[in-house]
Amino acid sequence: MLALALVALSLWSLTVGASAIPLRDLITALTDPYGASRDSIVLFQVRLPRLLAALSAGSALAVAGAIMQALTGNPLADPGLLGVNAGAAFAIVTVLSLTRIPAGPELVWVGFLGAATAALAVYALGSVGRSGTTPVKLVLAGVVVGSLLISLTTTVLLHDSGTLDEVRFWTAGSLKNRRMADVLPMMSYLLVALAVAVSLASQFTSLSLGAEIARGLGQNLALWRAVSAAIVVALAGTAVVVAGPLGFVGLVVPHIARMSAGPDYRWTIPLCLLGGAMLTLLADTLPRALLDRDIPVGVTMAVIGAPFFIHLARRRTGRNNATGAAA
Amino acid sequence: MTRFAVLIVVLAAAMVASVAMGELNLAPRDVISALTAPETAPPYVAMIVNDLRLPRAIMALLVGAALAVAGTATQAIMRNPLAEPGLIGINSGAALMAVIVIVETGTLPDRLMPVLSFAGALGMSVLIYALAWREGTSSLRIILIGIGLGALAGAAATFVSLMGDVAAAQRAMTWLAGSLQDSRWPKVVTLAAWSVLPFAVLWGLARELDLFRMGDEVGQGLGQNVDLMRGVIILACAALAGAAVAATGPVAFVGLAAPHIARKIVGASHRLLIPAAALTGAILVLLADIAARRLLAPVQLPVGVMTAILGAPFFGWLLWTRRNE
Repeated sequence: MLALALVALSLWSLTVGASAIPLRDLITALTDPYGASRDSIVLFQVRLPRLLAALSAGSALAVAGAIMQALTGNPLADPGLLGVNAGAAFAIVTVLSLTRIPAGPELVWVGFLGAATAALAVYALGSVGRSGTTPVKLVLAGVVVGSLLISLTTTVLLHDSGTLDEVRFWTAGSLKNRRMADVLPMMSYLLVALAVAVSLASQFTSLSLGAEIARGLGQNLALWRAVSAAIVVALAGTAVVVAGPLGFVGLVVPHIARMSAGPDYRWTIPLCLLGGAMLTLLADTLPRALLDRDIPVGVTMAVIGAPFFIHLARRRTGRNNATGAAA
Repeated sequence: MTRFAVLIVVLAAAMVASVAMGELNLAPRDVISALTAPETAPPYVAMIVNDLRLPRAIMALLVGAALAVAGTATQAIMRNPLAEPGLIGINSGAALMAVIVIVETGTLPDRLMPVLSFAGALGMSVLIYALAWREGTSSLRIILIGIGLGALAGAAATFVSLMGDVAAAQRAMTWLAGSLQDSRWPKVVTLAAWSVLPFAVLWGLARELDLFRMGDEVGQGLGQNVDLMRGVIILACAALAGAAVAATGPVAFVGLAAPHIARKIVGASHRLLIPAAALTGAILVLLADIAARRLLAPVQLPVGVMTAILGAPFFGWLLWTRRNE
């Protein structure tokens, strides 16, 4: 069902844009990749890379968010909120600015490094103290590390207008001007990471039950925590290279997936994969279709995701608050 | 009192340093003579000092003081040492309204900006409070909801700035980073005029702010009209934050760091804390602005970027010291 909806949505997103391509022309153009018609060029140079970017970034971030929520036992975990995306973005911008190499697929390793460092810093800062990692501490640590990294990124960009021009849209979380050559190499990293995530899904279920139960089930906690963190970093790093720092996908989608599929990650992860792709594509296409304007998908996503975050914050802290009303 | 004297001396030194340093470094002696007796100083020095750098320095001072006092009062009524107008989204609310003014009218009506920013800051405060209210408020909920609303307002501001033409969008973007670049005398006067009353109100309510720290029940027992006071204080905070944001854009972390530093210097009683926080905030923004202008010269960083770079580690340190609470 969901997969069919995704296909339909993809086709729709290909038809919408500065020049509308009717569905019939779209199919003609799709079957003829080397055609010289205008539709075919628009399709293969502009729309299709953008579609792939939306699908891959969305699914990567949603799955990363789901794993983060299992790993940290924190319903508010999201690669954007917890500063992981900002870390990848900062690392990439810095390397671009220092080395002057043109933006290319090899940057993904820089993104991994940045994402991993930021994730470690946030986790270290958020888990200090006797009470361990509480959702609030983790979110605050994420906001702190994230805002520091964003400011540093701004500093680098203001210092270096050449790089600014290159990444202006990218830092706002925009899928505009993606080239096939940028997106395709990312797909291989992504497919590997996603395949690993899907195949390990039952381990995430145990992790999400908390340390005690997971140990009782015979899970090697240290090992699986490290593996999960590595997958999160790989997914978030790739997504940032493709789409820029894009928030809230990793927060919203896993919650909806769990609501419909329950706590078993063997169902949640594939659902997140499809749902994240769908939500991101929708957020990218809707403004184009309705307002006839190209809004960075990061902006649309925040408009969708922030109210959801507020709703979660209200519910969660209501339950944890001894004097407050029960949720 | 000696503590205040020290703060004032540091502030004066920071002012002189801020005016003296720039593309053209001036000797402190020339700066002082240009300030005290403009006729005797060389005309170019008098021009640089009085028309270019002095309004900027005074703007930095006022913005720092306003944000610091707003932060102090916010921390008191929310009973949360991590509450800050920037972090919990009040500044973003003001910034959103200001961006609408920048983009939609094209020309900046200086007089309209503070009014709308104030409305934005106030609307945001009320919204945060209302959403966090579930048979009482919890400070955790306030912060989380503030972060969420701040993200929403930030996205809305980006959205609005993308709707405008390119020039307006660019202006909005620079402004959103929090910059003292465009400090002119009329803007300084507007900010001063807007800040005086809320500052006086908050200082006058110092005792009430002290009571808030004890909890609503204690306040009620001592005859405090808790809800009325809270309303007045939120109004005053919104006016200060709104005016500061209207003048320079959102400058992060000052409202968080200044009250903490001031508390270390003069203690927790608000009668002393409010003026001390104002002085500390002024010093912080002046120093941050000097660093922002000179660190990567000739590149001029917005002061908001600098305060975030300095403030984020400070916030991390605060989290660390409160780790067992």
